[in-house]
Amino acid sequence: MAVYDVTPPQNEMDRIKRFFSNNPLSFIFILPLILLIPAAVTSFYTVQPDEEAVVLRFGKYLKTTQPGLHFKLPLGMDRSIKVKTKLILQQEFGFRTNSVSGKRTSYASNGYNGESLMLTGDLNVADVEWITQFQISEPQKYLFNVAHPVDNIRDISEAVMRRVVGDRLVNDVLTVGRTEIATEAQKLTQEILDRYDMGVRVISIKLQDVNPPEPVKPSFNEVNEAKQEQEQAINQAEKQYNKVIPEARGKAEQQIAAAEGYATELVNRSQGDAERFLLVLKEYRKAPQITRERMYIEAVEKLVSRMNEMTVVDPKVKGLLPIFSGQGVSGGK
Amino acid sequence: MENNKSGFVLVLIALIAIGVYSSIFVIPEGRQAVITQFGKPVRVVKNAGMHFKLPVVQDVRMIDLRILNWDGYPNQIPTKDKKYIEVDTTARWQISDPLKFIQTVQSERGARSRLDAILDGITRDVISSHNLVEAVRNSNDILTVIENKENAAQKAKAETKGEERFLIEEDIAGEVDPIEIGREQLSELIVKRASTELAPLGVTLIDVQLKRISYEKSVQQKVYSRMISERQRIAEKIRSFGKGERAKIEGKTERDLKTIQSEAYRKVQKIKGDAEGQATAIYAKALNQDSSFYRFVRSLEAYQKSIPNNSKLILSVDSKFWKVLHEGK
Repeated sequence: MAVYDVTPPQNEMDRIKRFFSNNPLSFIFILPLILLIPAAVTSFYTVQPDEEAVVLRFGKYLKTTQPGLHFKLPLGMDRSIKVKTKLILQQEFGFRTNSVSGKRTSYASNGYNGESLMLTGDLNVADVEWITQFQISEPQKYLFNVAHPVDNIRDISEAVMRRVVGDRLVNDVLTVGRTEIATEAQKLTQEILDRYDMGVRVISIKLQDVNPPEPVKPSFNEVNEAKQEQEQAINQAEKQYNKVIPEARGKAEQQIAAAEGYATELVNRSQGDAERFLLVLKEYRKAPQITRERMYIEAVEKLVSRMNEMTVVDPKVKGLLPIFSGQGVSGGK
Repeated sequence: MENNKSGFVLVLIALIAIGVYSSIFVIPEGRQAVITQFGKPVRVVKNAGMHFKLPVVQDVRMIDLRILNWDGYPNQIPTKDKKYIEVDTTARWQISDPLKFIQTVQSERGARSRLDAILDGITRDVISSHNLVEAVRNSNDILTVIENKENAAQKAKAETKGEERFLIEEDIAGEVDPIEIGREQLSELIVKRASTELAPLGVTLIDVQLKRISYEKSVQQKVYSRMISERQRIAEKIRSFGKGERAKIEGKTERDLKTIQSEAYRKVQKIKGDAEGQATAIYAKALNQDSSFYRFVRSLEAYQKSIPNNSKLILSVDSKFWKVLHEGK
């Protein structure tokens, strides 16, 4: 130190200058120091929990690393590309989610008819809206095997959905076929994407609104209305039936019961009459002549007592001769 | 002398550095490289990573190795059965022979314009030489579905389950003709024909998908009105079925009502007749014991019953009646 430093340093700069001028080989120590900083900065990377990182060495795929802190060769020799593999990605067809604010999500389906209108197997048209959800299962394939993976997923989803719907009747598509269509579409989409080896797993395909095309909608509703009307007509008629028939049955039973009453009465009365007659006859036979006369006189008496006025006429006498008048008969007996 | 020597060393080092630098090249994943020597392609490298070439005289051209997609313009094409439809196709392709590729189409852009021409033409040919159903359906499964539904409809008809029958008939609407080859086969046909034309360009066609098939605007209107009229026909049928059912029930109501009433009448008459007959027999049996006494008793009763109260009685003096009154005889 004392050998080189003859004069005391005036300031730091001078000191450094002198150091370099006195030591021509010193840059050999400084240069690595200058390089060390960027090298240190580029020799590690962090992978977030929802990601995986694809590591390339001189452009060539080396490995895929999991979340955490990792080291790599610095200065661009190793490159890491982070891919969100845990995230479920979603593509919408026939509509777009506009905003997800608060509790309510708003959707737009105008202008996406081209995506959702499709021909059914019976050459009708159905308006099918759906979503395709997928996940990046092998990030290096997703990155390097296909140029525009999302565009491909959209194209294939559309083609597959049309193929699946194209093999069905419009009414099945609109009603019972939903789950079946979704399952089949998911299977086919996965099959086709696997052919491209693009490292994507289709999680699910879900049908959203499935409708007849807008201009046709009212006529589909008309069918539903007709069904209601049909039921209503039948119900009304049945109501009428239920109103009339049980009442008629009741009335019929009433009439029959009344007739039975009448019959019983008639028979009983006739029996009574007959018994009475026979009893009287029995006694009558013991003294027929006098009984006859008694009965006759009694009858006459009873009859005359009910009369208001009686006129006795002698056919030999000219003109009428009133004998009794007023209530003389009833009074006098 | 010292100066000259160190200058020469510096130049040499610089030259070596440049030489080394220009003889190393890196191919990233998803790329392939064509090495050209004075503009003439000499070899192809498909592996990603660090590679070497001759410095200065050789150049590297990077070409995409990935699967590329092609999206066609929607085309209006008449089908064999004269239906105007719009067909939107999409395809996936790959540069499989980069040497041929750079010689024939030079760039991806050049390739795309060739793809446009070739695929549009072939799609048009294939679609227009087949019926519309071939591009819509992939199998004849739908015919089995219809057959099953029709059988179920027949069964429902036999069992007079009206409502079910309509639900099934409602399902079967529209045109369903059997197909011969189907949608996937059409795509494959397009791929097959296009592949032979694309091979000289160093391009491999992976697949062609019929992304969208829709009716042309004016045809669409017609299809819509057909769908509407079909629905209306079904609606009308359902309504009239309802009316028919109602009439049936109303008829049944009347029939049952009349049956109940007339049966009741019949029973009433029979019950009464039985009773009257019985009564007649009872009377006859009793009264026959002494018919003249009965006549006498009955006539007395009849006098009592047939002459009302407070009547005016006119008697002849020679009547038996008067005699009884007058003479007690």
